[in-house]
Amino acid sequence: MTLDRDEHLATIEAIHTGLAGLNYISNEQIATAVFLAYHLDKPVLIEGPPGVGKTELAKSVANMLGITCIRLQCYEGLDESKAIYEWKYGKQLLYTQVLKETLGEILDGAQGLTESVAKLHEFGDVFFSEEFLEPRPLMKALKEEAGCVLLIDEVDKSDHEFESLLLEMLSDYQLSIPEIGTIKANPDRKPLVFLTSNNTREISDALKRRCLHLYIPFPDADLESQIVQARVPEVPEELRRQLVTFIQALREMDLKKVPAISETIDWAKALILLHTESLDAELVKQTLNVILKFQEDIESVSGEVQMLTNKALKGS
Amino acid sequence: MEQTIVDFVKVLRTAEVKVSPAETLDVMAAIEFVGYEDRALFKNTLSMLLAKNPEEKDTFETCFEKFFTFDDVMQAPVTGGSSDDAQDSDAFEDENSGDNPQGQPGGKGSGQGSGNASEAADAEASDEETPSPTSALGQLLLQGTRSDLMVSMAEAGRAVEVNQIVVFTQKGLYTRKIMDQMGLKGLQEEITERQETADRGEQRLAGKLKRARDQLRDQVRDYVEKQFFLHADEHGKQLREELLKKVKLSNLEKRNHKDVQEIVFKMAKKLVSIHSKRRKTHKRGQLDIRKTLRHNMQYDGVFFDLKWKSVKVDRPKVMCICDVSGSVSNYSRFLLMFLYSLAEIIPKVRSFAFSSDLGEVTRLFQSSNLEDAMAKTMRDYGNGSTDYGQMLEDFKRNCMDDVDNKTTIIILGDARNNHGDPKAEILREMYEKSKRIIWLNPEPRSNWLVGDAEMKKYGPNCHQTEVCNSLTHLERVVSNLLKYAA
Repeated sequence: MTLDRDEHLATIEAIHTGLAGLNYISNEQIATAVFLAYHLDKPVLIEGPPGVGKTELAKSVANMLGITCIRLQCYEGLDESKAIYEWKYGKQLLYTQVLKETLGEILDGAQGLTESVAKLHEFGDVFFSEEFLEPRPLMKALKEEAGCVLLIDEVDKSDHEFESLLLEMLSDYQLSIPEIGTIKANPDRKPLVFLTSNNTREISDALKRRCLHLYIPFPDADLESQIVQARVPEVPEELRRQLVTFIQALREMDLKKVPAISETIDWAKALILLHTESLDAELVKQTLNVILKFQEDIESVSGEVQMLTNKALKGS
Repeated sequence: MEQTIVDFVKVLRTAEVKVSPAETLDVMAAIEFVGYEDRALFKNTLSMLLAKNPEEKDTFETCFEKFFTFDDVMQAPVTGGSSDDAQDSDAFEDENSGDNPQGQPGGKGSGQGSGNASEAADAEASDEETPSPTSALGQLLLQGTRSDLMVSMAEAGRAVEVNQIVVFTQKGLYTRKIMDQMGLKGLQEEITERQETADRGEQRLAGKLKRARDQLRDQVRDYVEKQFFLHADEHGKQLREELLKKVKLSNLEKRNHKDVQEIVFKMAKKLVSIHSKRRKTHKRGQLDIRKTLRHNMQYDGVFFDLKWKSVKVDRPKVMCICDVSGSVSNYSRFLLMFLYSLAEIIPKVRSFAFSSDLGEVTRLFQSSNLEDAMAKTMRDYGNGSTDYGQMLEDFKRNCMDDVDNKTTIIILGDARNNHGDPKAEILREMYEKSKRIIWLNPEPRSNWLVGDAEMKKYGPNCHQTEVCNSLTHLERVVSNLLKYAA
């Protein structure tokens, strides 16, 4: 297990092939980021347009290393009780009820308030121990002895305050809980942390400073073709080239939302279901809603479909 | 190499990539793992650690290419390619001299000959008690490899602190300084001395040195140019930006428009990042019973964590009325530019242009780029004498219904009404209906009441009147707009 992990991350080539084995086609930057993240113990902040495989990367890395992937989905209003830990209040209450009798025995013979309190102190803070702690994703990740991949998805959706909350975790791999103390990750098996952001707002400098910054752009035709091949192997080569050319041409256009890789893959799957051998304008028009998600875009593109299809056919 | 990294970080900083010392340390740590051998890997690593958003990545890209390509030449003795280069050029020289052995009077001797000649010169030099640095540069020029020359140039550059260069007019100065540092004076003396002697060999050598010197000057100039781009270009740009921010917008020349546009975008971006944080007022206001119940269920229904109905800040709804008659059009241009750059935080901007008749230009600005939109606006609305009364009437007729207590109306104009009816009562009506009316006037306050200006009547019907004639003013106004909305 231990060996496995080191081996997979030993060189950049190893990461490349490892990910490719899981149908995740990485480029030079992506592999370098994973390599550095492991060797420098630094979290990776992944930015890029939606649908280029940001989340997928974290999952694939976890898969490759055979460790668990703990995911924390961010949203507005996410706070520490949902991200780090929470006291099991109900359990605490229940236990006090049950132990009422025992408490009586313990306090038996104590005279006056001061003495009782002193006696109680001898038993320490039983109710604020790990027994009564409900760990949430961040803490779970630290407690994972074998190491894990922690995926903090869409950080940009959370509040500014939450970002600051992450800082301790990200720079030192530890969390402080006032009642218990500091919880640290296993120093040899620190979690690999991936943060993703869709850039709906700027992430604070403090957070960025602690991370490696990986920007995943839309892939070029070659890479995209490889990705489609890995994900939808049933697509014949001819069609694959056509549809990649088509999508690449679409990205050049001025659209509200340009199709991402995930759309390309969906489209490829759809075309396979329709038993398509080669693109034609009519078919493209009918399946346009798979790749374009705004009526406006569909309207503006449908006029050009013939031209684009011809281009894609000629290009292949 | 550490010094090189530090230098590179410095270059990045001047190019407005924010790099903290901690990040520099990270780079050092990362290099332990990746080494310098693989250039692509090295670059990826640095890019990941230093440039932290897409724009910075772009800047990083250019900086890296400029900085480290140069380094290759500097370290020519180590890398194979460059020393090959040097040999190539030597070979070239030999070839050259072979081609025209008895060509021009100052034609080069063969490689071997030149070595002998300068050795002889050396001996003579010491005979004639010329200071030793004289031959040092001469020797370097004639005998040293190109990489030696580069190293000595870089050293000289460091000695005269060429990285302190700020504006392009300093290029000549630094070229001269570096040449001096490399011992130009000695070389110069040597050349003159040799030319004065009657000996033909001496004179030939002098000519050769002269040519080498000129070549060196070109190289040094090149070097300074590169350094200038690395270190000072941005510095000079900052200087220019500061200046442009303060200059009166009406005095801007057309060629500056592009720069100004860039500045406006930058300023807008700053405002976006300041104001994009939507504040909520917590611990205040009404008790949110539903939320409290739900939240306290985990405490067995004991209410000890109360939730309040929080108030979300509204994005301001802005209506912007711009005078586009000749005198004020430049201001309108930049105000509109500003507002549309802020689309992220004030999505609802409606803009109107007028000189006499009012027309809505919102769509125009959304659909086409700024230059075109502005040109079209000017064409459609720019002619005719200003008539504020007519404008207000048009506004009342067409848009008054859309004004509500969340609307901020910005009017930009000099309020010079050509002695027409000001119709201030309509403005009053707008004043009562809207959240805020801001009047921006490009003229200084002292001129507001002079001549046909109607500020006296309009002023009291506005929540705020401001002088606004430079980018700094504009920025303040827009920032205020956002602050009050919050």
